[in-house]
Order: sequence, then structure tokens, then C-alpha cells
Amino acid sequence: MTHADRHTAARGERLYRALLRLYPPPFRHRYAEDMAEFYRDRVRGEARSAPAAARLWMRLVPDLVMSALAERAAYLADRTRYGSPALDPHLHRPEESMSILQQDVRYALRSMVHRPAFTAVVLATLALGIGANAAIFSVVNAVLLRPLPFAHVERIVAFTHQAPYVQVSEHEFVDYQRDMTSLSKLAAYSTPTATISVGDQPVRASGARVSHDFFDILGTKPSFGRTFARDEFAPASKARVTVISQALWRQQFGADPGVIGKTMQVSGTKFTVIGVMPPGFNFPDATTELWTPWRMNVDSLQTRNNHYMRLVGQLASGATVEQARAQARTLDQRWMRDFPETYFPSQPLTAAITPLRDALLGPTRPYLLALLGAVTFILLIASVNVANLLLVRGESRRKEFAIRAALGASGGRMVRQMLTESMLYALFGAVLGVGLAIVGVRALVSLAPGDVPRMDEVGVDYRVVLFTAAITLATGLLFGLAPAARGLRGDSNETLRDGGKTSAVGASRLARRALVAAEVALAVIMLTGAGLLVRSLVKLQAVDMGFDASRLLTMQLTLPPRGYTDTTADEFFRQLVSRAAHLPGVTAAAADAALPISGSDNGWSIMIDGRVVKTIAEAPVGRPNPVTPDYFRTMSIRILRGRVFTESDRMGAPPVAVINETMAKTLWPGVDPIGRTLKMFNDTAPWVTIVGVVADVRVRGIQADVPSTMYFPYAQSGVAAYSMPRTMSLIVRTSGDPAGITPTVRALVRAANPLVAIAQVATMEQVVGRSIASRTFTTILLVGFAALALALAGIGIYGVIAFSVSQRTYEIGVRMALGASTGSVMRLILGEGVRMTATGLVLGLAGAMVVDRLLRTLLVGVTTTDLPTLAAVTCVLTAVAVCACALPARRATTVSPTEALRAS
Amino acid sequence: MSHHPAQHSAPDSLRPLKPVELLVLTMLSAGERHGYGIRQDIIDHTRGAIALEAGNLYRTIRRLETDGLLDESSRRPSAQTDDERRRYYRLSPFGRRVLAAELERLRALVRLGEERRVIAPLPA
Repeated sequence: MTHADRHTAARGERLYRALLRLYPPPFRHRYAEDMAEFYRDRVRGEARSAPAAARLWMRLVPDLVMSALAERAAYLADRTRYGSPALDPHLHRPEESMSILQQDVRYALRSMVHRPAFTAVVLATLALGIGANAAIFSVVNAVLLRPLPFAHVERIVAFTHQAPYVQVSEHEFVDYQRDMTSLSKLAAYSTPTATISVGDQPVRASGARVSHDFFDILGTKPSFGRTFARDEFAPASKARVTVISQALWRQQFGADPGVIGKTMQVSGTKFTVIGVMPPGFNFPDATTELWTPWRMNVDSLQTRNNHYMRLVGQLASGATVEQARAQARTLDQRWMRDFPETYFPSQPLTAAITPLRDALLGPTRPYLLALLGAVTFILLIASVNVANLLLVRGESRRKEFAIRAALGASGGRMVRQMLTESMLYALFGAVLGVGLAIVGVRALVSLAPGDVPRMDEVGVDYRVVLFTAAITLATGLLFGLAPAARGLRGDSNETLRDGGKTSAVGASRLARRALVAAEVALAVIMLTGAGLLVRSLVKLQAVDMGFDASRLLTMQLTLPPRGYTDTTADEFFRQLVSRAAHLPGVTAAAADAALPISGSDNGWSIMIDGRVVKTIAEAPVGRPNPVTPDYFRTMSIRILRGRVFTESDRMGAPPVAVINETMAKTLWPGVDPIGRTLKMFNDTAPWVTIVGVVADVRVRGIQADVPSTMYFPYAQSGVAAYSMPRTMSLIVRTSGDPAGITPTVRALVRAANPLVAIAQVATMEQVVGRSIASRTFTTILLVGFAALALALAGIGIYGVIAFSVSQRTYEIGVRMALGASTGSVMRLILGEGVRMTATGLVLGLAGAMVVDRLLRTLLVGVTTTDLPTLAAVTCVLTAVAVCACALPARRATTVSPTEALRAS
Repeated sequence: MSHHPAQHSAPDSLRPLKPVELLVLTMLSAGERHGYGIRQDIIDHTRGAIALEAGNLYRTIRRLETDGLLDESSRRPSAQTDDERRRYYRLSPFGRRVLAAELERLRALVRLGEERRVIAPLPA
């Protein structure tokens, strides 16, 4: 070994050093370096291969944990003397004048150290239970419990309309604002995306155009600078000002403290930064990065049926959400009468007013609560398991207790001692559990899907600490009381006479079996819940999306705001798509205005078959999607009738459209729509001929219904669908890995025009995955927790049966001496296990129907009484129970009658 | 944590030593060792029956150091085998007295065993 070799860190040394933190600080200061050195020698001496390293760690970890615990105890017991004899020249071992608590703690520690395997199992069980709870609670705390960054959030309401209007029009906003006395303030906002640039590189950013009072209602002050002044909302105002988010300030301005007064380009116009919002402020969306004032002109509002804004309001003092809803309802009904050409009777206008907290956190809440419920169950099961282990051990310690009782120890004293032991287990379990939780929280944050709000704020704060302390205390009591109560009872004379060998009396056996049955029941509930979610996920993934999502790369491109006419925009995309299609590894390319799954489902009013309807309320609705000619082939969308677009469907050619199956069935039931016509609800729009029908494609996620959709050739969209979108998604189908071609496609776009903003680069599979990410994530976690519960239940069953066999050796010996066959002994033992499991199973299945009903909002296509799931759970659990019983049962059959009888 | 063992302690006050303490002290009677060296000596002496891991070993060292039975060596071994990052331990004079007293006690015990024919006496 060379000198240099000796000084380089060995494999696993970092982990080893981390474990050394278990020791009390003085110990660490003095010996940590030496121990690390020792570890290197060990690794280099004998653990050069992976199996050898594994064996080494199997020895190292228990040694380290046990000695660290002992050192901690010694340090706690006598801080002043620990490691400093100079302070105490008499070197007496501190036996005298110990308090009862100290004695109990010492005694408990000793008994823990003397049974390392038992202690390890108990601590591991508790650490898992407490750690999982602390980790999940940290997330729940950050996302649901911690106050939102708004002042008086309880008085803020989110205000929109229910379907089909969904959003609010300018007229409606002005009227609500004027007439609703239950709201002291009401603001409107819309969320356009903008191309912004500070330097040369344009980027896409989510913006919010907000009306006056927006920041007042939310009550959040900017980190520095100011929000908008009243005159900046005046229609004639020339001020172009913006407030930016903390994230934008960091990314685009490098956290420049002198940013106030600097300018940036927002969609081609120069804006002056006047304020920076604090971190965590991201209303209305998690991605919102800049806010601009909305200069709404009350004298020339857009039409009443143009619903495109959302509202946020502040309740007047003393007013309730119900009062606000009632006032809004009255207004809505009056408008329905006053404006029959806008609102159709079959589609009433209904305001949707929800407390802001619910509106923001609502979608995430059921997932998080399901997880919190699951980890609570895990903790319960862990506690039951530990209680059982302690009960079993209590049995084997009966002689010890009998002796102590005979020597005059009072019952209370012994209960106290056992509780001290339980509490110490809980405490050490909590310490390990918090370590697990810290690792777990990091893993959760990095794995969690992006749409969980406030995930970046997850961390450990005083609530998490309090929560963990509380559950630790509860756990300690929970699993400690049963064994302690057992310690109180029992006739010490009898126990001493028979040497503590005979099996426990009925009560304790019953207690243990009841605990195991409870454990099984809890596991069944969790397994069923997890099973139902898995089934939902499978059903969702089996949904026909209407296109082939594999090997597709997509990116959103936005043309620079100035400099493109309809003709040049068409030319740009036609050339880009054609060049992309000829890239090596690319089989097809196209572009569309609204991607499937993640796209908008906004519909527009139309007219069909040359019939002119009088009012817009009678007009059918269709969702437009301008696409390039090769779109359907690139996406692998099935063509049901007619044809799709060709290069000859260009600007100036007769306008054509392709519609989806839903539209064909809704508007032309039983009739061939090919050759029929439709047009936008607008006098100047031309009639468009339908040339084809294609299969439905999922638009908003996988679950939502598919809206009636009409596709237009991009080249004709300026005429056929009001205007040609300047933001399109480029879609490329590849023969290999689609992500791999990203740089090439980016370079292609840059070469075509460096001012085009590129955003949302993703494979289509990622887009689909993201739409169900929360669900997938929750399901995976729940399955993990359920597996853990199952394993714990299995261990519980095994423990009780194994103990029962060891206690009944004498009885089994007698039976076999009297001629019982091995088969009947096997049956005896298995029967005991099966009865316990069956009781738990029945209770659990009944419980599952009640408890899992809470999951209802998360289920898709299955009910809580889903037979396949219940059957599968029953099978899995029975199999685990039989496996857990088989080992002890086999051991029972090998009992030799003569041995058993002689031993007694 | 530099300190001097108590001058007035009687060697008997610490007996009986735990087996692992006795092993460590006996190994150090040959000269100063670092932790890994102590482990190797014990393995050699017990023919592999006892192989201490770091936790147990350093906990024992901590106790023995606290009780003043061993201390850190100020001298270093020869230059080429030296590793300045390691700490070497040696038996303190007090530790040597405690070890001697313990071994005396064991010798008496061995004698007794021999007299009672539990083990055969070694040929003299």
C-alpha cells in the first residue's frame, strides 16, 4: 500500500462518516478520524469485492449503531464525567444516588443492547413507521397547512363560471364589480403567454394581465419596488410597466438589485420593471412570471359572450361566501332574462365562487390526504407489530418479572419500567425515523410531479417536529401499554414454580391474536386502496388517445411579434416542417396550434350547413385546430371518412376542414358530413367545406370528454378561423429515441430564424405522462406503502405463530407421543394462523369498503367494491399468511416427543 | 481531552475488567498500537475467534481512556511506517498496574482450576 493510496477516501467512506454522526459530539471529535482510518484499512484489507463489502457492512452497521447508542446513553447519564477523568479523580462508577428514571433508562438500554436482533427489528419497524409519517407530513404541511403567501387569505375568493362559459366576459366583470355588495373588491385577470427578452435570447414566459385592485386583494407587498398605480390602468395611459416574479428576476436579471427602472421586451414592446414580487408568490399560476396592468376601456368593452377572464375578489367584512354566491346567482338569472341572445336557456350561466385556498389546493388535496392516511395506517401496523413483539418477549421475561415481584417490586414500578422501555424504543425509532424522513423528503421533492403546488417550500419546520414528537409519544404508549398491562397481572408464585416455561394463559394469547388480526385488517384496507388506484391507472393508460404518442418530439414555437404577415408565417412553417421531415432519423413532421392532451379545449361558436342562426346562443360550438398538411400522418390519427389536407389546400384555394368523430356524430347524426359546410359565427367568415372525418383525439388530459373539433389547414386559418396563430407546436416523428434529436431540431429552428422563441420541448410521451403524473406518483407511493404493510403483517403472523410453537413444544410432544401424525400437527399450527388471518381479512374487507370510499374522487372506472381487486387482495394475503405459518409449522412437526417431554 | 490519570486510585478499584478491556490492555503491553493494529493483534492472538469492529473497539478505548488506563502516545514509530493522521495508544503506568492486578487475579483463578483438575497444570 503506498502512502498516497492510504490517504484517498475508500468506497463507502462518506456513508460511514455520516453514520459516525450517531455518536455523541465529544466521542466524535476524538475518535471519528481514527475510526474512518480504521474503516479504510478494513476495506482495503478484506473488502475489495462487492460481496465482501456487503459482508463487511453487515458487521459494521449493527456494531456501530449499538455502540453509538450505548455511548449516547453514557453521555446522557453523566455529561460532566464523560471522557474527562480530570474532573473526577475518584473514578467511582456512578452507581449511587441514581434516580428511578435513570435506573429504568439504564436497565432498558442494557436489555436493548443485550438483544441486538430484537432491538434492530423493533427499531427498524418504528423508524419506517415514524419516518414515513414525518416525510409525508412534511409535504402535507408545506402544501396544505402552511399559510399561503396572501394576507387575509380566508377572505379571498376565486370567481369564475361553471361550464360551458367557464370564464367571465368584460361586461359581466364590470356588472359584478358594481352590483355585488358582498365583495369589497373584485379584480379580473387573464393569463396570456408572452415572448420576453432582456438580452438577445427570447424566451416564453407566462404573464398575467391584471385589473386594478389585483395586488390589493391578495395583500402581498413586492420584495422591492412597487405594484401598479391607479393611473397606469387608464385606457389612455402611455406607461408600459411590469411587475416581475422572483424567479424571472433571478434568471433574466441575475438578481440585480438595481433592476427597478430597467426595461425588457414583452411581445415586442418595451416595458419598465417597477417591482419584484417575493419568493413563493406565483398567483394565478405556479408558472406566472410577470404581471402587467390591464387598461380596460369601460366605454368600449368586448361583447358579452366573449368569456376569457377569471376573477379574484375580497369578501366585504362580515360577508360570507354563501352570500356572495347568492348575489351572483341573482345577477346571473337577471342577465339570462335580459340577454337571451347571449345565454341559452339549456346552458344557464352559473357563477362558481370558491375560497381561494380551495381553488388553489383543491386538486392536490385528495392525493395528499390519501398518502397521509396510508402512512398513518403504516404507523398503526408498525405499532401493533412492536406491541406484539414486546408481548411475546414479555412472555419470555415472565420469570424475570416474577422474581422482581417476589423481591418486592411493586406492580406500578414494573409497569413504569416497561413503559420507559417502550418510550426509549419510540425515541430511538424517532431519531432513526427523522433521518429516514430527511432522505425521504428529498426523494419526494425530486420525484414529485411539477404540478403539485408549493413543492419547493417542502422542508422541516416546527409543525413537522411537533407532529413527529406527538406520533412518537402516541406510538410509545400505543405499543407499550398492552405489554405493561400484562406485566401487572400474573401469579408470580406459579410462574416461579413451573420455571416460566408453560405457555401463557388464554388472555395474552387472545391479545396477541387480536393484534395480528387488527394488523391484517389494516393491511387489507391499504392493499385494497392501492389495488383500486392501480386499476384506475391501468384503465386510464388503456384509454385510446386517438393518436400514437411514441417516438414524437414536440416543441412550441412562437414567431417574433413583428415582421410576419400571414403569407410569410405560412411560408416559414411550411419550410420548417419540410426541412424537419428530411432530417436523418425523422419519418414525418407537422405543426399544430393545440397539442393533444395538454392543449386548450376552448370552443368557438359556429354555423353549419349554410343555415344562419339568429343568436349566438343557438349556435353549435367547435374547437378549432389549425394544422399543417402532414399532421394526421405524423400523429397517426385514423382517417374515418373522406380525405385529409394536401399541399394544394393553400391560401386562396377553396377553404376546407376536417372534423372529428364527436363533431360528426353531434352535428350530423346519421348523415355523411362530407361535403357539408360550416363557418365561424361571424358575418365576414366564408363557408368551409368538410372534406374528411378523423378519429377523436384526447384534448384535456386522458379523462376529459373529447370536444367537437375542427381542423383547418394552417394556410387557410387566417380566413377560415379568424386568424393565423403565431404560436404553433412543431411535431416530429422519429425512427429512434425522440429526445435524442432535440439539439438537431433546435438548431434547425435557430437557423430558420434565431428570434423564434422555443418553449415546452418534450416528447409526446412526457406530455401524456405529465397529465397523469400526480396520479402515477401517488399510486406508486401507495403501492409501496401497501407492500410495506403486507410485509409487516407477514412478520406479525410469523412472530405469533413461531412463538406459539415454541411455547407449545410440550403439548405438541404429548400429542405426538399419543400418536398424532405430522399432518395433524401441521394442521393444528396452520389452523391457528388461518383463523387469525381470516378474522383480519373479513374485518379488513369490511373496513376497506368504508375507508376506501374516501378514495372515490381518485377512482376511474372502478368502484370501491371492485371484485377483482378484492379477490386479488384476498389471494395475496392468504398466500403471505400461509408462507408466514409454514416455517413454524414445519418446525412443529420436527418436535421429538421424547425430547419435548424430557425438557419439561 | 488531554488529562492525567488519577494518582491516588488503587488499581483494584477497577476490577474486574471486561474481557474485551483485558484483551486491549494486554495487546498494548507489547507497545503502542493504533486502533487497527489492536484489532489485528487480537485476531492473531485469538486465532480469529474475536474480531472487533470499530464501534466496539473505540467505545472500549474511550472507557479505558476515561478511566486513565491508556493514553495517547506522543512518540511516533519509525518514519517510513508512520502515518501522521493516526493516533497511537499506549498503556499508562496506572493501566499497567491495573492490568497486572487483573492478571494476578486471573492467575489465582487458573491455579484454583488446576488444583481442582478442571484443567491440567502446565508442566513447570
